[in-house]
Amino acid sequence: MSMVYINIFLAFILSFMGLLIYRSHLMSSLLCLEGMMLSLFVMMAVTILTNHLTLASMTPIILLVFAACEAALGLSLLVMISNTYGTDYVQNLNLLQC
Amino acid sequence: MMTYIVFILSVVFVVSFVGFSSKPSPIYGGLVLIISGAVGCGIVLSFGGSFLGLMVFLIYLGGMLVVFGYTTAMATEQYPEVWASNKAVLGAFIVGLLSELLTACYILKGDDVEVEVVLKFNGAGDWVIYDTGDSGFFSEEAMGIAALYSYGTWLVIVTGWSLFIGVLVIMEVTRGN
Repeated sequence: MSMVYINIFLAFILSFMGLLIYRSHLMSSLLCLEGMMLSLFVMMAVTILTNHLTLASMTPIILLVFAACEAALGLSLLVMISNTYGTDYVQNLNLLQC
Repeated sequence: MMTYIVFILSVVFVVSFVGFSSKPSPIYGGLVLIISGAVGCGIVLSFGGSFLGLMVFLIYLGGMLVVFGYTTAMATEQYPEVWASNKAVLGAFIVGLLSELLTACYILKGDDVEVEVVLKFNGAGDWVIYDTGDSGFFSEEAMGIAALYSYGTWLVIVTGWSLFIGVLVIMEVTRGN
């Protein structure tokens, strides 16, 4: 297996850690989620093209469909948070108090 | 150098991922995500997947990131912070950059470098894909994607229905009370 996979896997781990470690904006975490989807797409496409898995070529497109669904849902939640609190700061989400 | 072009593209991919994972203001993160999408498309194109690379540009960059761009412009209005204006962002960026450069230098240093995490990775076959014989005059990847409508009819039904339900859920969420 080639060394390209190490870099793409490292990119996935970096954006996963960026998703888990909050700073101030919720939008940055949604961008890290999109980054995870992009790295998964590239890894899947490279594996399918290297090993000539012909019928599996439709799976990156299906991944992109579900990533679009999840991105739209996350954005709608962010819009509702921004409508309620004025900004999308993560420190505003403190109703649970634990 | 051209034999290492895929590796260089993947290094630029990781560096741009560090750029938005260190979380500057979202508008700059979106800009760097566009760059990483373009470089990821280049990686997919280097392995011969022209339709999948076009999908990245059209659907991912042209569809999803445009929506992210104007939602960011709408929902966050303040003074956006760059990578250099905050020590946490700059520190995270430099740490990520250094770790990627160390990895890249280690990989490019020797010819027989072998890394074993769960599988054995070696850089020898970086630009060669496995050859299984003659595939004729058609592109395998395009034929596989075209099989979405013959072998993958149920996949089309499930994804179409889930997109429809997603639209209804988003309409209910944004309706609020």
